[in-house]
Parts: sequence; structure tokens; C-alpha cells
Amino acid sequence: MVTRERVEGVLNRIRPFMQADGGDIELLDVKGNSADVKLTGMCAGCPSAHMTLYLGVETALREEIPEFENLCLL
Amino acid sequence: MIPAPVSMDSVVIGKSARMRAVFEFLRVIANSDSTVLITGESGTGKEVTATLIHQQSRRKHRPFVAVSCALFSETLIESELFGHERGAFTGAIKDRPGRFELADGGTIFLDDIDDVPIGMQVKLLRVLQNRTIERLGGTRTVPVNVRVLAGSKKDLKQMVADGKFREDLYYRLNVLPLTLPPLRERREDIPLLMDHFLERYFRKTGEDVPQTSDVVKQAFMRYDWPGNVRELENACERIAQTCTCGTVRIGCMSPHILFRASTRSADPAIVETAAPSEAAPIALDDRLRALESNLIAWALKVSHGNKSRAAELLQIKRSTLGDRIARCGLARAHTSEEREPELATES
Repeated sequence: MVTRERVEGVLNRIRPFMQADGGDIELLDVKGNSADVKLTGMCAGCPSAHMTLYLGVETALREEIPEFENLCLL
Repeated sequence: MIPAPVSMDSVVIGKSARMRAVFEFLRVIANSDSTVLITGESGTGKEVTATLIHQQSRRKHRPFVAVSCALFSETLIESELFGHERGAFTGAIKDRPGRFELADGGTIFLDDIDDVPIGMQVKLLRVLQNRTIERLGGTRTVPVNVRVLAGSKKDLKQMVADGKFREDLYYRLNVLPLTLPPLRERREDIPLLMDHFLERYFRKTGEDVPQTSDVVKQAFMRYDWPGNVRELENACERIAQTCTCGTVRIGCMSPHILFRASTRSADPAIVETAAPSEAAPIALDDRLRALESNLIAWALKVSHGNKSRAAELLQIKRSTLGDRIARCGLARAHTSEEREPELATES
């Protein structure tokens, strides 16, 4: 089952990179096998960053949690 | 076919001991006419090095012909390298010189020599030994004055041992062996290469080169670069194309690199957990302590030395973390010297 803890565990791996660069990623909700997240800080407004972080985080989540389905960037 | 003049500085970059050894060797063989076998993984710069060898040689004003042996089937490669006469095969409507003839007086670079089919290897060996070629379907023997450079992704010696490469051809090629190290074995060159390529690609877009955040530099240092310098070059091109905010931050990087770099941070611990392959005794307590110490060190690094945050990462109590740090003797190590590039931005 996809739990908040497991998702946070994966986010925590990427988070240090983001925080050191003046940004962060916030886990808003876990719905079934999907999760909603929000980017904050430096990279929040940049379309390139959205692509990088969206794909990077989703890949990480799917690798760690095989049943994980979709990451929704709000 | 004649490349633009190049200098050592502009094509091959590196300050690492491994690259300095390569440069020294290139200097030594500059005036030689002997065959060079350049071995290196994909993207380590075999063709760049071949170009450089040619540019430094007495043949620099003569043609440099590079050909990838992986591109052709067995019959095609023969016609490519040695040429053919009109009517040699269906579609051979006129005489065509091969790459060896085109390179006459100059240098030929046979890249992907490890992909040459075994049947073709014997023909190549004959050419290298006699320095003459015969066009496909022709009867005339043409002498060629060509310096041969060969490139290989794989260790040819191993291929010989496996029966996939002719031993005689291997010895014929391996006169001056040159091995290009993979980028992950000369990580200290990564910042230099990064600056070089970022500069090149930002100049191309007509912009000034922006600052690069430390996190991006550290992610680049951590990533394993399976595609070597070529991959790093592409990563820099991507950054130059996508960076919109005036500073290169992690958002501009490829998601793949960010993700892989983030998994690498706990790597020392992963290595430690590997079980020995033989039935050798291991001290379990020592191994566990090493693992614990590695993971705590990692948590302290990524949390910039903030112990509460590190404790959160490890999902243990703050007070427990304090005890464990003391037990592992990390307190001193952590405050003094860092063992590997790390995330905290001290500057």
C-alpha cells in the first residue's frame, strides 16, 4: 500500500538537493496509489524545473514503491 | 574530411592523474607512425583523441578519415574500407575508392574495431601487414600509405581470450595501447568539463554563462555518468537550453541525473551491506557499526549538520542520535574534514 510515510521517505531523498537550492517539495495528499505534491521556493515558477522534478520524483517513487501510479504536481 | 585545427586544451580536458598520463603518452607518440589502439567506454573521447593524434603527427596536412566499423554489414564494410570496381556487385555502377585509399598519406581511424566480424578480421590483418589493398571485384593491388588508429569499446585482449577476436590482429593493432578512463574514475575532472561545456553551450545561445548552484555541481559529482563525457556534454547542453532564471539550479538538470545522484548518496552504506561471496568469516558487530556510522554520517551531511533533522531522516529520536554519534566516534569526524563531496553548502 502507498502510505504517506513511504512517499515521504522517497521525497526525503530528493529534498536535500532541493532545499540546498532554495526550494522544497510538499506532500499534500496521498490518494490510493497516487500522490499530490507542490513545489515551493526557487524552482516553483520555472517550467524546466517542473519537468525535472516531476519526472525525477515520479521515477524515484515508482522505483521504490512498485505499485505507485501517478504523481500530480499542483 | 580534414578537421579544423585543434589544440590539446580545446579537445581533451582533464587535470586528473589518469588524464595527465594520457596527455604524456600522446606527447610521446606524437611523431610516431605506429598503430594506436584506443580503448575506452562509449563517450570517453576515442574519436576526439584520434583526431588529436592525427593533428599532432607529421601527417596533419593529409586526410584524416574516421570510419565506424559498427555501421556496416560484413560485405558492406569490405567495400567501404577497400572500395570496389564497377560491376563487383549489384548496384556497383562505378569504381569507388575505399576509405583506406581516401586516407592515403594520412590517418585512418577504425572505430568500433570490436564490432568487426571475425571473417573480416583476417582481411583487415592482411591489409595492415602488407599495406596494400585490393578493391572488391578488382585484381589490382594498390599500395596505401596510411597510419592506422583503432578504437574499441571492449577490452580486445578479453575478446581474444573469448575467441571473438583474432589474436594476430590484436597484436597487429596493439602496438601503442592507449586507454581512456571512464568519467566516474576521474571525477575530479567533472567541474572542469562542466565549466567548459556550459560555457560552450551558453555562448551558443548568445547568453552569458550564469552561476551554477553548488547543489548542481554536487549532483554532477555524484552521478555515475555511464555515457561518460558525451553524456556530460549533453547534460550541459540541456541546461543551457532550459535554464530560464539566470542561475543554474537543480530544476534545470535532467531528472535522470537528479534521481540517480540522489540514490548515490547512501551508496557507501549499500556497499557495506554486501555479503562476502566466499565462506569467509565476517565480524557482524563491526559490519553493523560501519553501516550505522555510514548512514548517520550521510544523514548529518544532507541535513547540513542539523541533528534534529538528521534524526528525522533516520526516524530515530534526537537523543538516540546523540548517543549513537558518540558511540560511532562521528562527532569529531563530522565537524572536521569531509570524506566525499557533500550537499551542505559551506561556502
